[in-house]
Amino acid sequence: MKGKNCVAIACDLRFGVQAQTISTDFKRVFELGPHLYIGLPGLATDTQTVLQRLQFRIKMYEMREGRRLKPHTLMAMMQNLLYERRFGPYFVEPVIAGLDPNTKEPYICALDLIGCACEPADFVVSGTCSESLYGMCETTWQEDMEPEDLFECISQSLVNAFDRDALSGWGAVVHIIEQDKVTTRTLKCRQD
Amino acid sequence: MARRYDSKTTIFSPEGRLYQVEYAMEAIGHAGTCLGILANDGIVLAAERRNTNKLLDDVFLSDKIYKIDEDMACCVAGITSDANVLTNELRAIAQRHTLQFGEPIPCEQLIMRLCDIKQAYTQTGGKRPFGVSILYMGWDNRHGYQLYQSDPSGNYSGWKATCIGNSSAAAVSILKQEYKVGETDLHEALLLALKVMSKTLDMTKLNAEKLELATLVRKDGHTEIIVKPCGRGAEADQGARGAGGGGRSFQAGQVHSQYKQA
Repeated sequence: MKGKNCVAIACDLRFGVQAQTISTDFKRVFELGPHLYIGLPGLATDTQTVLQRLQFRIKMYEMREGRRLKPHTLMAMMQNLLYERRFGPYFVEPVIAGLDPNTKEPYICALDLIGCACEPADFVVSGTCSESLYGMCETTWQEDMEPEDLFECISQSLVNAFDRDALSGWGAVVHIIEQDKVTTRTLKCRQD
Repeated sequence: MARRYDSKTTIFSPEGRLYQVEYAMEAIGHAGTCLGILANDGIVLAAERRNTNKLLDDVFLSDKIYKIDEDMACCVAGITSDANVLTNELRAIAQRHTLQFGEPIPCEQLIMRLCDIKQAYTQTGGKRPFGVSILYMGWDNRHGYQLYQSDPSGNYSGWKATCIGNSSAAAVSILKQEYKVGETDLHEALLLALKVMSKTLDMTKLNAEKLELATLVRKDGHTEIIVKPCGRGAEADQGARGAGGGGRSFQAGQVHSQYKQA
């Protein structure tokens, strides 16, 4: 979600195979830079592989260019990475949140599994309960929220959406990315 | 006499020499000096920057010293375009290892892989060898701080202190006398590097703009590689002040004047 000079990104912690829960601390939001986070919900093995391949590309980019990756460039990189597997795709639908390294402009975007990106002005959602998430975010999101309000908004949207979904839940991790710091909070909710 | 045997890399001479490889090393002998010193608590690389034309745009802070991976950096001497190709390959090799094994590549393995590529250009393909010698500094959790040198033949070796490029023989002989094995810490290594560079460089006095310095130290479980492009104003001062080695601050000008008094 976008806020005033800040962005927030959050994920749940459940890792399961349909009805069976395998792990309750599977994080799917990763830090790729001081103010750049990516969420990779979907097939867990693809979450891991896409992250590793992405880190490879980002390392090469940052060493060659001598500067940090911009969120917009990360989106382009993800598009390319995913479309390379157009006919045998990675089953992840990434979500990117970050601040531009120079202008500190908030940025969010979501991609589908074969690399179609969209960069809306308000919020992006992805995962098994994405329909509920759309509903929750639509009602609670407002423009230019301060970091504290943004935290409340994103937490409530996420938790209430995944509480109704059998395949998501078991707690949440929320990152609030501001210009000078990133605050990470772990939420404990219905443990089921 | 050597003429007949020096046009192709794949041919030995009657005396058992590979002339193309030797000519490549000749090319490096004319390049800007690079010096590396292994200290107890870190590693120093110093390089002579040859392109100091004031019209040059400073897009990249460093044109001799490159970061290869989180725990490794290198300094090149020789044909710059060849060096760019090799450093790119070094970075790709390191990342491919991390992708496959989930951990940073050990220093010697990285150098070994690159040297195998360099060796191929001395035996097959009909292409000339790379006209670059490289000094590597790195840390890994098995052998700690390491300093290596590789040359166009694809040969590499580990060093405590060494020099490549112009006047390297003179520099190595000074290092032989002055370097104290096991007793040099990072600050002393920096001073020694400056001393050797000033004695062997072309210019009569050591100008901060002509020198690039880099240090590698381990701090709190991660590696800090600081490349100091000396003489580039505020950035250089900031970088210089961020030096490792027990919290002592280092500024190129300050150390230079210390040496002068010594």
